[in-house]
Amino acid sequence: MAAAGGEELDSDDGSEELVLTPLQLIRSLEQAWLNEKFAPELLESKPEIIECVVEQLDHMEANLKRAKKGDLKVSVHRMEIERIRYVLSSYLRCRLVKIEKFFPHVLEKEKSRAKGEPSILSPEEFAFAKEYMANTETYLKNVALKHMPPNLQKVALLKSVPKPNLDSFVFLRVLKRQENILVEPETDEQREYTIDLEEGSQHLIRYKTIAPLVASGAVQLI
Amino acid sequence: MEPAEAEFLAEKELVTIVPSFSMDRVHLIGGDLGPFNPGLPVEVPVWLAISLKQRQKCRLIPPEWMDVEKLEEIRDQERKEDTFTPMPSPYYMELTKLLLNYASDNIPKADEIRTLVKDTWDTRMAKLRLSADSFVRQQEAHAKLDNLTLMEINTIGTFLTQALDHMYKLRTNLQPSGSAESQDF
Repeated sequence: MAAAGGEELDSDDGSEELVLTPLQLIRSLEQAWLNEKFAPELLESKPEIIECVVEQLDHMEANLKRAKKGDLKVSVHRMEIERIRYVLSSYLRCRLVKIEKFFPHVLEKEKSRAKGEPSILSPEEFAFAKEYMANTETYLKNVALKHMPPNLQKVALLKSVPKPNLDSFVFLRVLKRQENILVEPETDEQREYTIDLEEGSQHLIRYKTIAPLVASGAVQLI
Repeated sequence: MEPAEAEFLAEKELVTIVPSFSMDRVHLIGGDLGPFNPGLPVEVPVWLAISLKQRQKCRLIPPEWMDVEKLEEIRDQERKEDTFTPMPSPYYMELTKLLLNYASDNIPKADEIRTLVKDTWDTRMAKLRLSADSFVRQQEAHAKLDNLTLMEINTIGTFLTQALDHMYKLRTNLQPSGSAESQDF
């Protein structure tokens, strides 16, 4: 059961080719999982990572089917597969929870996305979000709205559904050194100040300031 | 994050085992392990070590820091300092629990070790509660928590961030700006 070699991933515009070893792939999945878990908003979708992980799991499953039963090696491989599957499922479930929670804002963000910007929804997630929105609208209409006076029959979902709170505090670990990160004051008496984020250090800070660092992989939420 | 999830991450740490079986190299997705030969120590991730130990296929060797003298030093150091001292492993709590639960027969003076680790944990949690309290009171905007382990952060993390959120909402609603719609949160 030889390990698969390096995977080739094309980024969206096809200008870069990333070659990740399977170990790096699993690490990226775990990173994406933790970031998604602790970020208050829905993060960029990572279709390349998911696709490659599913490919690796399928490949390994196929190998295991052919191997002889009762072999100790088979159970070791199975345990690893289950662990990876857990992280993948938890990651996808976390995203679905956020999509359901913030559906009008997520769809709005996707609609107003500039051409070169990465998408926050995979095609399947996008279809799910649209369906969820349509179902919610139909439900509200049938249960209450159609019984209201005609001028009150609309609900502005974008205004009624709470937005993700980007000002929440998050814990993070620094992966790549960053300089001059602005810390905004909490009270009127305080002044704003800048800090440097040393590699390997851990911090508690508002999400808004460091959101771009999470997207770029310079910090890891914990 | 659930404590079980912090444990899940801790299970990736490597630990030395002495297998009682033989098996050639295993090519896992996450890397190669082995080969396994009876009597020869080999490093494997904790999740595999625990599983093999449960099937009575190996003996676990405690990590070098899981030793009474070392832990006494660490505990005393932690009690002396006001700030957090670096821990021998970023997963010291999870590894102690896992190894002592499943392999206490392989670890000399297991009970003493358990008590020492618990004492160190208690001291650190007390410091954490104090510093979280002062963070909230002084309405700090940023804190550096270098020597804290994941399990410790996880224990107060959710509560602290939610509490800070609530306080932020209450504060911003006091200001007469009126720009925040009541249903923004």
